[in-house]
Amino acid sequence: MPSAGKPKRKKSRKSELDSALNQVTDESVAASMKEFQDLLAQAKGDTSELIRQNAQELEERLVLLKERKIDKEDFDFFVENQKRDLRVFVDGQPAQSQERAEKLTLQILEIAATKVVPILIAMI
Amino acid sequence: MNSNIAKNFIARNVFLCATAIAITSCGTATFSKPGSDTQIESLRNFELAFIDAFAVPGKRFNAAAFDAKVNEGNAKFQQAIANEKFTARRPVLVDLKGQFDADAAHLRSKASRGKVSPALASEMKKDVNKIYDHALGR
Repeated sequence: MPSAGKPKRKKSRKSELDSALNQVTDESVAASMKEFQDLLAQAKGDTSELIRQNAQELEERLVLLKERKIDKEDFDFFVENQKRDLRVFVDGQPAQSQERAEKLTLQILEIAATKVVPILIAMI
Repeated sequence: MNSNIAKNFIARNVFLCATAIAITSCGTATFSKPGSDTQIESLRNFELAFIDAFAVPGKRFNAAAFDAKVNEGNAKFQQAIANEKFTARRPVLVDLKGQFDADAAHLRSKASRGKVSPALASEMKKDVNKIYDHALGR
């Protein structure tokens, strides 16, 4: 099998987060989760390596939180680290690209911290 | 008349070229990028060693040793900022100092309550390596 090893593990992690978020039944909350999942997928497929890396790290840390390998304090600390690093990147983008860059980096982190994390914690 | 204008034009261009060469050679003499990169690598190694020493699950928190290491780190960063000859790089060092301050505050809070997990240590080191790579333009 050519696709054994690492890629397989990444795929199962992604499924783990998606399946957790897909369990939400409340309509308004489910809409937020869908918005987040769409943004995350968009960021993971972006041409910018930094945007892809940020999305990948965010997803991995949400899974670590769900698996209780880190707690909410740790998660918030890592989000602040990511924001600190990304602000320089967003400010350095051309004016016409800034809004999109911000949406796929800072905004996605904000949604994760304020909307997704409480749902994941409630599921633990 | 025209000949004077041409002479002045040539003289002005020669002067501008000479000034540009002088400024460029001064810059090369006073700023050594490899030295500056080495300094940043040294700060990275210090910060990674700091995390290795204190982000250890189950290890009893030694406040005195922790404070001593933080003070050593503060001194290292302040010295690096003061000694950086390439002024454009000082804000980058200030950002790296900000990361060290944030790491120290989080680690103190977690280690003093015995709430360090293996994942916390490895994710912290991942973030440190990332911010230092960006600081070095990688």
